[in-house]
Amino acid sequence: MSNYISTVGVEVHVELKTKTKIFSNSENGYGQMANSLTNVVDLAYPGTLPTLNEEVINLAIRAATILNCNIQRKMHFDRKNYFYPDISKNYQITQNDTPIGYDGYVEIETSSGEKEKIYIEEMHIEEDTCKSAHRGNRTLLDFNRAGVPLIEIVTKPCMKSGEEVKLYLEKLRELLSFGNISDCKIEEGSMRADVNVSLRKEESDPLGIKAEIKNIGSISNAKLGVEKEIERQTKLYDNGETFLPQTRRFDDKLGDTVLMRVKETGNDYRYFPEPDIPYVIITEEMIEKAKKEIPMLPDERREKYKELGVSDINTTKLVANRSLSDYFNTLLEEKTNFKTASNLLLGDIAAYLNKKEKEITETTLTKERFLELIKLMDNNTLTSKNLKDILNEVLESTEKIEEIMKEKGIENITNDDEIKSIIQKIIEENKESVNDYKNGHDRAIKYLMGQVMKETKGKANPKLAMDILTSCLQEL
Amino acid sequence: MKEKLSREEVLHVANLARIKLTEGEIEKYQVELKKLLTDVEKINEVEGYDEDILIACWDEFARLRKDEVGNMLDPKQVVENAPHHAGNYIEVPVVIGESEGA
Amino acid sequence: MKYLNKGIEEIHELLKSKIIKPIDLVEEAFENIEKNQELNAYITLNKEEALKTAKELEDKEVDNLLFGLPIALKDNIVTKDLKTTCASHILENFIPLYDATVVEKIKAKNMIIIGKTNMDEFAMGSSSRTSYFGAPKNPWDKNKICGGSSGGSAATIAARDVLFALGSDTGGSIRQPASYTGIVGMKPTYGRISRYGLVAFASSLDQMGPMTKNVYENAVLLNALVGKDEKDLTSANKEEEDFTRWIGQDIKGMKIAIPNFLMGDVVSSEVKGKIEEVISLLKEKGATVDYIDIKYLENAMTLYQIIAMGEASSNLARFDGIRYGFQAENVENIEDVYLETRGQGFGDEVKRRIMVGSYLLSGENAKVYYHKALSIRDDMKKEFQKAFQNYDLIIGPTSVTTAYDLSDPMDDPRKSFMDDVLVIPVNMAGLPGMNIPVGFDKNHMPIGMQIIGNYFEEAKMYQLGSFIEKELNLDLTPGGEK
Repeated sequence: MSNYISTVGVEVHVELKTKTKIFSNSENGYGQMANSLTNVVDLAYPGTLPTLNEEVINLAIRAATILNCNIQRKMHFDRKNYFYPDISKNYQITQNDTPIGYDGYVEIETSSGEKEKIYIEEMHIEEDTCKSAHRGNRTLLDFNRAGVPLIEIVTKPCMKSGEEVKLYLEKLRELLSFGNISDCKIEEGSMRADVNVSLRKEESDPLGIKAEIKNIGSISNAKLGVEKEIERQTKLYDNGETFLPQTRRFDDKLGDTVLMRVKETGNDYRYFPEPDIPYVIITEEMIEKAKKEIPMLPDERREKYKELGVSDINTTKLVANRSLSDYFNTLLEEKTNFKTASNLLLGDIAAYLNKKEKEITETTLTKERFLELIKLMDNNTLTSKNLKDILNEVLESTEKIEEIMKEKGIENITNDDEIKSIIQKIIEENKESVNDYKNGHDRAIKYLMGQVMKETKGKANPKLAMDILTSCLQEL
Repeated sequence: MKEKLSREEVLHVANLARIKLTEGEIEKYQVELKKLLTDVEKINEVEGYDEDILIACWDEFARLRKDEVGNMLDPKQVVENAPHHAGNYIEVPVVIGESEGA
Repeated sequence: MKYLNKGIEEIHELLKSKIIKPIDLVEEAFENIEKNQELNAYITLNKEEALKTAKELEDKEVDNLLFGLPIALKDNIVTKDLKTTCASHILENFIPLYDATVVEKIKAKNMIIIGKTNMDEFAMGSSSRTSYFGAPKNPWDKNKICGGSSGGSAATIAARDVLFALGSDTGGSIRQPASYTGIVGMKPTYGRISRYGLVAFASSLDQMGPMTKNVYENAVLLNALVGKDEKDLTSANKEEEDFTRWIGQDIKGMKIAIPNFLMGDVVSSEVKGKIEEVISLLKEKGATVDYIDIKYLENAMTLYQIIAMGEASSNLARFDGIRYGFQAENVENIEDVYLETRGQGFGDEVKRRIMVGSYLLSGENAKVYYHKALSIRDDMKKEFQKAFQNYDLIIGPTSVTTAYDLSDPMDDPRKSFMDDVLVIPVNMAGLPGMNIPVGFDKNHMPIGMQIIGNYFEEAKMYQLGSFIEKELNLDLTPGGEK
C-alpha cells in the first residue's frame, strides 16, 4: 500500500438557540405538532418579506468571537437559488459574499498532549430548511424547522485524520454549547457535520479528487467515516483506479460510507445579493455586548478548578456536566472547601439527580444551604453515612441542614475533650486490650474503637475518635 | 452573430427556471430569448463607472427585530391552502435526491 | 345623482352632513363599473363585502377625508380573504391569509375596497395585454391599450368609476398607464410605502403608489399610505408629512432640468411638442428650465432588463404549486410538479423573463451581467444626485408615444421594455416620479408629462404638478363631462 497524504475539511451547521426564527417571528421550537410553528413568511406566501432577528446576529458575533474569527463590520445577505420542496421560497437566504466571521481557529489537544490549531475559513448565517418525511410515493412536509437560524462553520482543508476530525467536532460542540449558542444535539439535528476527504501524493501536489460525506449521525461516525473513506480512496489509487467527485453518506448499519450521487459539474445556485435586507452594520458595542455575554468556557473552567484544588478527575467530570459546572461556578467568589464541594456534587448529589432525573437547579439546594453542607462535612459534624440518611431532605426541603440533622437525631460529638475523656475511660476499663495493642496485636485497636462507639451510641465522629485513640495509646 | 439560440440552450434555461416548454414554445424562444440576450450584451459597452455597487436604494441600515414570538398560523389553515395534504402535513409526490441547502 | 366625479372635499362634506352615506358611493361605483364592464378593468369585484362595510360605516364618525370612499387595488396587492391573482393562471384561485400593510392602512382610514384591478401578469408588461384575464381597454378609445402594468387601475380612474386606485411601479407601471389614460400617477421614493403584501416582481425596484384623477387627491391618498413598517426592512424611517402642503403655491424661481435623453429621437414629435409648450409656460411663470445631460440614462433600460429579470427569476420561484395556488394534475414526481405547474401556470411574458433572468444569474454570468449592472446603477444614482444639487425637479415626457392599438403585434419581446425607456431610470435610482396629463394628440389621446423629484421630495413634485394642472385646466373626462 502506497503512502498518500490525506486532506480533510469539515463543514458544520448548528441551529442557534433563539426564541424565534431568523427571518420571521414564529417560534423556533423542536418536537411540536407538524406545521404548528409557522407563519406566512416561513411558507413564502406571496408578498411576504423577511425581517432580521437581533438575537441571531448577537449569537453569531458571540460564536465568531469564541472561534477567534475576524468579524465583518458591514455585511449583506445573498440568495442561493435552487428548487427543492424543503425551501419554501425556492431560494435560501444565506451569506455568500460577506460571511459574518472569517479567518478563525480552534485549538484541539491531541492524545499525545500537543496543542494544534484547526483553521476556520469562514462562518456565515443562514436559514434552516423544512423537514420532509418519505411515505411510499409521497413526501410529507413540515415547515416548523423552516427558517430556524443556523450558522455554518467551514474549516480550511487542514486536517489529515479521522481522529483530528473527532477532536475538532468535540471541541466545537463543547465551545458552542458552553457558549449558549446552540444545543449542539447531533441526534436532534441541531448540529450537523459534513466532511470532505481527498488524497494526494505530495504536499506540493494540488488537492486530489474530493468525496463529501453527509448524514453523519455522531462524532465517532465522523471519525470512522473519514478513516473508511481514506481507506477506500487509497485502495482505488493503489489499483490504478480513480473516481469522480461525489457525495457519500455514512450508513450506520454498514459502519461505512456509501455513494449518494456523483457531483454534477458545478452547482448553479445563481447567487445574488438579497435586496429585501439592507446592509447590517456590526458596531463595536454589539461586539462588546456579545463578548460580555460569553459564559466561562471549558478551558478556563478546567484551569480555574485546578487552581482551587479540585482533583483532576473531578475537574474532568465537572466540565463534562454543564449544569453542575455552572452551579459550581456560583461558589467561585466564596471562601469554602472546593474539594469537598466537588466531591459532594459529583458523588451523592449527582447520584440523586440521576436517579430522580432532575437538574440541580430543580432541587432546594441553594448556594447558602450548599455552603452550610460543605462546612458541616468539613468540620465532621456530618459524616458521609449521615449524609446518605438525610440527602432527600437536604435536596427537597428548605429547612436548615442542622435542623434536619436534629430531627433525624444525628448529633455527632465533635468536641475533642469530650471524646478524649470517653476514650480515657475506655482505656482504664480495658487494660487487657491495651496490652495486646502494645504487644503488636493491631486488631485490639478495633475492639477499643468499638467500645468507644458503643459508649457514645455511635455519635462520636469515627475519624476523629480514631485519631484521638491512636495518640492516647501512643502516649501510654 | 447567429439569429437564435440552439434548442439545447433554450432547454437549459427552461430547466434552470423549472418551466416545461412545448415544442412550439421552444422554437419561439430560440428567437425571442436571443433578442433579449443580445439587448443585455450592451452592458459590456458601458465605460467609466466605479466598482461600488447599488443593491437597492435603502434609506438606512437593517433594523433588527426583537426576539419575541408573534402570531402563528393554525396548521389547518396551512395545509388547507395547499393543493395536497395529509393530516397536518403538506404533501408532494416523492422527492428523490438530497437537499442542496443546509 | 352622481358624486364620484366630484372633488373629495365636496364628497367629504356631503358624508359629514349625512346628506349621502358611504353606501351611496359604493352603489354608484358598482353601477359605473357595470356600465364600463367592456373596459375589463377588474379581475375581482368585492361587492358583497364592500356593501357590508359601507353599512357598518354608517354608525361611525366621518373622521378623515378618505372616510367611506371607494378604492380599487391592483391585483398584485394582497388582500385577506379576497382573491389575489396577479392576473396569472398560477394564482387564479388564490385567497391570501393576510392583508398587505397598505391595505391595513386603507382599512384604518375606513376606505372601502371595491375590487382588484386588471394588470399585466405579475406586473410584467407595458400594455396589460399579458393578463390571463384579457387586456383592459382605454376609456378614451376602446381599441387602444391603457398601458401597463397597472392598466386596470388606470382605466377605472380615467373612466371615473371610483376616485382612488393603487398601482405598482417597477419600471414605469404606474406612470406609463397614467400617461396613456390621462390621469395622475405617483411612484413615490423607494421605501416610502411598505412593500409588505405587494407580490414581488423586482424587489429593489418595486414601489406602490396612488392613481387618481387629479394631483390634490393623489397627495391626500399618499398621506395615508406612507410610513416605516417593521415588516419591511426596506421601508424608510421618515417623519409624517402632509404632501398637500405646497399645493397652490407659486413656482417662481423653481429650478427645473430636462435631461436631453428624455427628449431624444425616440420620442414622437407630438409628445415632444406638448412638453415644449409646458416648458414655455413654466418659463413664462418664472421658473428656470435647462436642458442637461445625465450620464448613464441611455443604459437604464439594459440595467433594468438585467436587474428586473434577474430578481424576478428568484422572486417567482416560490410559485411551485406546493404550498398554495395552482398545481398541475397527473404529476408523478416532484420535478414534474415544478416543470408542469410552472409551464402551465405562467404566461408567455413571465416565462420569457424568468428564463432570461435565470440565465443572467447562472454561473459566471452573475459577474458578467448582474454585478456589472449593480455597479453602473450606483454610478447612475450618483449622476442623478449631482443634477439635484443644482435643480429642484427634473421633467420630461412619460411615454415616447400615446397609447397604441390593442391589436398591435406582441411578437417583439423588447417592445415592452422600449415603451418604458423614459420611466425606467427613476426606478433604477429609487427616485420618486409622477405622471400628470398635459394635453392630447391629434386623435384626442392623452399625453403625459413626468415629474421627477429628489429622494423624499414628493411634496415639491405635487406643487409643480398641481400648478401645471391648474394652468392647463384640461377636460380629462373621456367623452366629455358626464
